[in-house]
This record gives sequence, C-alpha cells and structure tokens, in this order.
Amino acid sequence: MTEKQIKRLKVFFILFFAIILPLKAYIGPGAGFAFLSSFLVLFLTFLLAIFSFLSWPFRFFVRMIKGQRAYKKSHINRLIILGLDGMEPALIEKFMSKGKLPNFSKLKNTGTYARLETTIPAISPVAWSSFMTGSHPCKHNIFDFLSRDPKTYLPDLSSSRVGNPKRVLSIGKYNIPLSKPEIKGLRKSIPFWKILGDKGIFSTILRVPITFPPEKFRGHLLSGMCTPDLKGSQGTFFFYTSDEEKIKKREGGINIPVTINNNSLETYISGPENTLVKTKEELRLPMKITFDNNKKDALIQVSGQKIRLKSKTFSDWIKLSFRAGLGIKVKAICRFYISQLDPHFEMYLTPLNIDPEKPALPISYPFIYSVYLAKLLGSYITLGEANDTWALNEGVLSEQAFLELSYYNHQEWENMLFNAMNKTKKGMVVSWFETTDSIQHMFFRYLDEKHPALKTGQAKMSKKVIEDLYQKMDELVGKVYNQLDDKSVLVVMSDHGFKSFRRCVNLNSWLYKNGYLSLKAGKLRSEEWFKDVDWEKTKAYGLGLGGVYINQKGRESKGIVNTGEETKALKKELIQKLNGLKDEECGAIAINKVFDRDELPPGPYKENCPDLIIGYNEGYRVSWESVTGKVNDIFFEDNTKAWSGDHCIDPRIVPGIFFINKKINTSTPSIVDIAPTTLELFGVNPPAHMDGHSLINKEIFYQAKKEGNTREKE
Amino acid sequence: MWFFNSIFGKIFEFIFIPFSKMNPWIGMAVASFLTGIFMLAIFRWTSNQEGIRNVKNKIKAHLLEIRLYKDNLSLSLKAQGNILRYNLKYVGYSAKPMVFMIIPIVLIIIQLNFWFGYESLSKGQNFILKVKLKQGYNPLHTNIVLKPSSGIIIETPPLRIEEEGEIDWRLAVAEEGSSNLQILVNGQSAIKTLTVSQNSICRISPIKVQHNIFQEILYPGEPPIKKDIPIQSIEIKYPQKRMNLFGWHIHWIIAYFILSIIFGFAFKGFLKVEI
Repeated sequence: MTEKQIKRLKVFFILFFAIILPLKAYIGPGAGFAFLSSFLVLFLTFLLAIFSFLSWPFRFFVRMIKGQRAYKKSHINRLIILGLDGMEPALIEKFMSKGKLPNFSKLKNTGTYARLETTIPAISPVAWSSFMTGSHPCKHNIFDFLSRDPKTYLPDLSSSRVGNPKRVLSIGKYNIPLSKPEIKGLRKSIPFWKILGDKGIFSTILRVPITFPPEKFRGHLLSGMCTPDLKGSQGTFFFYTSDEEKIKKREGGINIPVTINNNSLETYISGPENTLVKTKEELRLPMKITFDNNKKDALIQVSGQKIRLKSKTFSDWIKLSFRAGLGIKVKAICRFYISQLDPHFEMYLTPLNIDPEKPALPISYPFIYSVYLAKLLGSYITLGEANDTWALNEGVLSEQAFLELSYYNHQEWENMLFNAMNKTKKGMVVSWFETTDSIQHMFFRYLDEKHPALKTGQAKMSKKVIEDLYQKMDELVGKVYNQLDDKSVLVVMSDHGFKSFRRCVNLNSWLYKNGYLSLKAGKLRSEEWFKDVDWEKTKAYGLGLGGVYINQKGRESKGIVNTGEETKALKKELIQKLNGLKDEECGAIAINKVFDRDELPPGPYKENCPDLIIGYNEGYRVSWESVTGKVNDIFFEDNTKAWSGDHCIDPRIVPGIFFINKKINTSTPSIVDIAPTTLELFGVNPPAHMDGHSLINKEIFYQAKKEGNTREKE
Repeated sequence: MWFFNSIFGKIFEFIFIPFSKMNPWIGMAVASFLTGIFMLAIFRWTSNQEGIRNVKNKIKAHLLEIRLYKDNLSLSLKAQGNILRYNLKYVGYSAKPMVFMIIPIVLIIIQLNFWFGYESLSKGQNFILKVKLKQGYNPLHTNIVLKPSSGIIIETPPLRIEEEGEIDWRLAVAEEGSSNLQILVNGQSAIKTLTVSQNSICRISPIKVQHNIFQEILYPGEPPIKKDIPIQSIEIKYPQKRMNLFGWHIHWIIAYFILSIIFGFAFKGFLKVEI
C-alpha cells in the first residue's frame, strides 16, 4: 500500500465517521447501554455526593445531641483483634524461643504475652461466645456444637435454628411462603460490639463464631462458624467417582457414583430441599463432564457455564443457580477439584456455599455487607466451618489439596481484614481465622511420633506443616502490626490450645458396660443417635464433645432419675468412677477431671448445660461414635483418622494464647476478660453481668494519654 | 459496491415486507430486536467480558460503600472517587466493541433510514426533484430533459440555479403505482425511482448518486449514476416521516435507540453478555 493510498484510506475513515455524526452517534445497544449505564453511575454518584455533603452535618449533629461523643473517654482510637482459633501456647513459645516467629516476639517484647484461660468445655463455639459476651457459658447458653432435645434425645445445633416460614399459601403443588423463614440465634447475652455500638463506636466483626444469624448493631458483621451451607448442613461435600469400590458412607459428605461413556459423563449436583413444593424434593442441577486424558483436563458444563479444569487444580468459585419454580432461583457458589482422571474418575466438590452476592439466608449485618465484600474482593467462602476437614478425614481430598484449599480461604479472610482495617481509622476490627484450628486438627499427628494415624491413611507430610502454619500467622501479625499507630491496640489471641488426639474414649459404651445406659432387649450395640437405647432403664448418656446428661424425670421425656438428691448422688458416683479413668492398654489416665455443672460459674441457662463435662487427659478425647450417640463394647480405641489433634479435653491443659501491644495487670488472663478489657479501652464501663475483668493497667494508659495530650499541645 | 448494496437491501426487504401494511412500530420493533441481538453478539465477542464484569462489580461495591460508611465523610468521598475512576475504565472497556460495531451499525442505520426516514408519496401530492450536475457543467447551458413515467405530471418548467449547479422541477403524482423518472442530459439518460405507495412502511430511496464508493455507502438505495453522465446526484424531496407515539411524533432513530437498548437489556442475560 503506497503512502498516497494510506492517506486516502485515512481521509475516507475521517469523512466516514464525520458524516455519520448526524446519525446521532448511536453505536448499538451494547455500547449504547454501556454509555447509558456510565451516565447513570455518574449521575447517581453525583447525587450521593451531594446527599453525603448535605446530610453529614445533620447526622453529625444528631450524634452529638444523642450524647454519642464516642471517643471522648476512649484511651485508644482503634483496636484490632485477631482471633487465631486454636493456637497452642506450647508451640508458639517453642517457635518464639527458636526465633521463628519474629512478629509474635516483637509483640511480646513491646507488650504482653500470656496463656489465656479458656472455657469449660474448651470448644470453639463455647469459648468464642464467652469471648464476645465476657461471660461464662451458663450466661450465654452455648455449651457445645450440639445441644440435645430432651423430648427426643436427638441432637440440635446449639447456636441457631432455621425453620420453614410460618405462613404459606398452598396452591397446587406449591407452598408459597407468605412470611420469612424462621431464623433464630440461640446464643444469649450481649456481644461487646453491641455495647460499643450503643456508645457510638463503630466495629467490623469478621467471621467470629456464633454470629449467625447476624444481629443488629452499629457496625458491620459477617457471620462465621455455624453459618450453614445451602443444604442447611454445617458443610456437605460431594465426591464423584467411577470407582465402585470407593462408594461407601462418608461422614460430612455425599458420594455420587458416575458412569463414563466415551470420555464423558452425565451427573448432577445435589442441591437444597425445595421447600416451595409440597413434596419437598431435592433440587438438582444436571452436570456434564468431558475429559481429555492427554491434556489431563476436563470440561465441566453446569448451570449454563463451561469450566475447563486441569486435574489436581481447584476451580475458582463457580456460581450455581437452582430453579425452585415460580421464577425463584436459589444461588450457591462452589469449587471443583478433579483429583484423578484415570483409571477412575474422582472429583471433589466443596459444600454449596450461600452466594454472598445473593444470599439465600442473611449472613451479614447489614444485609448488603456480604454483597459489598463479594463485589469488592470477589466471591468468598461463607460456610461457617469453612475448611473441609471431613473431606480430608474421609480421604476425598489429599493433604496437599486440603492445605491448598484452606490457604485459599485464609487469603480471602486476610483480604477482608485489611479492607476493614483500611476503612477503620477509629473503632474496632475483630477478625477470626479458622486456618490455625483446622490445619492443627488435621496435621497434629506429625508432632506426635506415637500417633496411630501415622501408620494409616494419608501421612505424606511432616511436622513442617504446623511450623509453616505458625510462621504464616506470624507474617499476618507482622502485616497488621506495621499498620498500627500510637493510638492503636493489637490483640492476638486464641480461644484454646491443641493437643494430640491419639486415643478415643467411647463414653456411651463405658456408661453401658457400667450399667448407667441400657440397650433394648437383645441388642448388644446401638446405632447413631441412641437408636437402640432403652430410655426407660437408662440413667445417663453422653452427647456431643464432652457432655454427659442425667436421664432426669420431668426434664427428659423418658427420664427415670429423680431431681434433687438422686441426681446429685448419681453425679457424684459418676464423677468418682470417671475421675482418673485409666486406659489399661496404654497405662495412662484417660480422664483428668469431670466437671459438675453445679460447680461451674452460674447463669440463667445452667439448665441447658450438660450435667457433667468430661475433662479428658492429653492424648484422649471422646470417640467419634460416642459423639453421635453410638454404643458398642469397646471403651478405648486408637484414633486412626487424619483428624489427629484436638482441644475438647480438660480445659486446664489447653489454654489459649494472648498477645497485646500494651502491658496488662495480670499474668493469668481469661477469655472472659477480653470483652470488659475492650470496653474499658474505649472508655465504656463493662456491664455488671460480665464475669470477666478488665486487663488494662489504667495507670499506664492514663499516663500515656496524658503524655500524648501534652505532646499534642506542644 | 452495488452488488453488496443490493444484497444488503434485499435482506432488509425480506425482513420488512411482511410488516409493510402493519403499524410501523411493529417493523421498528423487529428491526430493533434483530439489531439488538446482533450487536449483543458483537459486543460479547469483541469486549473484555471479564474486565467489564470486574469493573462493574467494583462500581457497585463502591456505591454500597457509600451506604455502608455513610457517617464517614472521607470514606464516602474516596468511594465516589473510586466510582469515577472505575466508570472511566468501564467506558474504556466499551471503546473496543464500539469500534467493531460502528461500521455495521452505520450500514444498518442507513438501510433503516430508507424504511423509516421518509413518507412515501400518494396520489395528488406534489414534490420537488433536484438534479445536481457535476462540477464544470453549467445548468444554464446544459441540455436536460425530464421524462416521467405515466402517472407523474411535471408541474413547473426546470428551475436552473447556476450557483448550486442544480436544476429543480416540481412534479405531482396523478396515479398510484411504481414510477420512475428519466433524465436526459446531453443525450445520455439516468433513471431515478419514485415510490408512490399506501403501505405504512416501504423502502424509499431519496437520492441516487454518482459512482463513488463513499457516496454509494451512504446512499445505497439505487444503482449509481454512470460515470460518463454529467449528473452528480438526483434527489426527490420526500416528506420526513415521524413515529407516532400516543400523539407524540418522534424521529425513528430515537425509537430505534430506545427499543434496541430495551431488547439488548432484556436479552443480555439470555445471551450471557455483560454490558
């Protein structure tokens, strides 16, 4: 093309576009719509800007006259609390002494480090409820993950209840809801961020356990542990396999067998129950998977999307849409992981998480907060117990894949934390991290050379996993520490520690063999949830991770033990027999101490507390069978699962950790002290119902405040 | 060029003929729907869909941020700044598909203008015919003869405007039916079609132009005037057509703009297009 021709071409295009101007510069619906949207956004932004400017003085004035001059009495501007679930003091002390945790060491040297007394029992939902309310369990009503229904002896989730709508309109095959589903939180008492909010102090609470359903307060909250998945469970994974031998019952998951035809298979995703139809059938999404064995990848076609996925790689969050009927869609997000293409196809699918952009249940306060985070940072895991420990326990995920998935989740939480910190120059941010808990649960055996699980199942990693975990948390602490100013306080804490879980104690079997629990005639064992228990001859039963209940008359539907002296005597007898219970096979004490609820700090919900709480010795824990109400003839057995570390033992041997960049007034802080301490830091008097005490060394704070004020004046 | 124009024109004829006797809004809705879908497809193939999705999410996030941090003036202002920043990025993402869309959409609009831009003539109606000569030809000294087909009456003798290089006639329609006008210049002839119809929408070509690629793109309704004929263009001044919306007369392009956006918006989810 000659220069002249190029010039002509240029002139042609200039003229062409110049002449089409009379066509109103319309350039199609797509771009037209983009420009229209863009204009609308500008217009809306402009309106919001004007509104913000005009209304801000009024809102400021209203806050003033309401007496919410929030920070007038506050000793600090900002408090950051990092909750690293299950961080073990013995390990952190060891790694600090070896110089492997420089940021924790810095925090210790500039402020305080102490072991943190945990709750009885030392279980996360219990401990974090005490953390937020400053009260012992009998005041907040959370005693375990599970509670029991005394009418049926069946378990309930202790923290919340999600029921169907109360009013429905029945038309044909549909039950059209006329009211919202009943979502009720069962944790009692008041979290300290609510008290702070009433005084005008803003907080962001990220994923702290037992915050589902989210409660109204002045701040933002994203619900944490106990937030259900879309199936209403605490996390149900899916395992697709063409290997018939691998189809077996899996705890926490569903097996879906598949048949391969010409390198492809057709299957489905099992969704929630459709409450819109009377038959309440399960909603299903058809799914087609086509493989390319040479490329080691597959094409997954589901919910109108095509996802190409390499073997042994996690997909991004995939949005799913279940059609319930009448134009109603239920949205979920999930991740796929193909663990094997040949000789058998094997694929893991995460539990169906509530889509934070279109939540089927409220998972944040305000409602738009979860939407905001998803729009800003991308989709994220919303399930309360996010890291899929059961998938690793059941051999569906490899250790490596589990770690990868857990650290993906952790990164999402870090992003949320730093976003909240950037937005909170004054106020409080509390961020909870499950990573430390779940990785220790699943890899603690590498720290215990005698652990039975090292000889079975997956054991390809080393104790480096735990060391790496602690170092990663150290990096997180370092990043947060570097953003602190003089008037910021950083607290890093865990709710409990961790110990090896080598041996299982079948508590219900012990109760059976010792005549406290009876089976129906002709039965020598019982299936889950006391299926074959004869309640009319049973005096006591164990349920959950540490509780023993007396089958009490007037309380349990088939109770046989009288209240008062008879119950007292039975409890005394059980305590005597169980205290110091010996595992003859290993020659070790299995139970250190049995706690009687009557000797625990009192509260209005004591009646819901198990009558006895078992304090297992290090290396022991209640067996998987006993937790779910199974009875057999074995008292003690090896724990051969990957879930090899635990903390549901004697609380005195699993304290948590407590770091603060200030000096405190005691060397023995307790988890119930955090709430009053926080209130005190912001100049708010802790309410009388709190059991804890402020850890603030007031003299140091007042001195520092005085010096700060003098410096400001100068 | 004429080959392309005639095929393109036939496609539109094929689309509109079934609706020619119906209310023009039906034809307009069909045209808007088809082009809406076509443009959505182009937008999907040529735009950065992931980028647009991300940038729209960021805009929405910062809008929510204003609501969430309403008591914090500095955060609200920052959020507004971010909205503007991402809005610019959003417009930037629309630029590429616009470049791809602009040529087909211009060609479509030119064709639609034949169908919706002008009223056809009817019996008893008069109109102006303008013949523009090529440069160098003086209308006063050019031998030009107009021979209309039967049913068309020449009402005035030719008006020769030397400054414009133009010769005009006023004619009138005496009978309905397809007609044409033969113009003889220095012994050579050019034929201009004339549309006399009672259909609510029909194809009207107001101008016939000299053989020139650029002119032919803009006025593709008829074959071009042969090069050796000293006529630049032949134009019939048809009355401008307006779309009647409950008594409000609007330009067809406004109707087209709104309808095609509505269709685009309605079907973007179905076609999985992020706009």
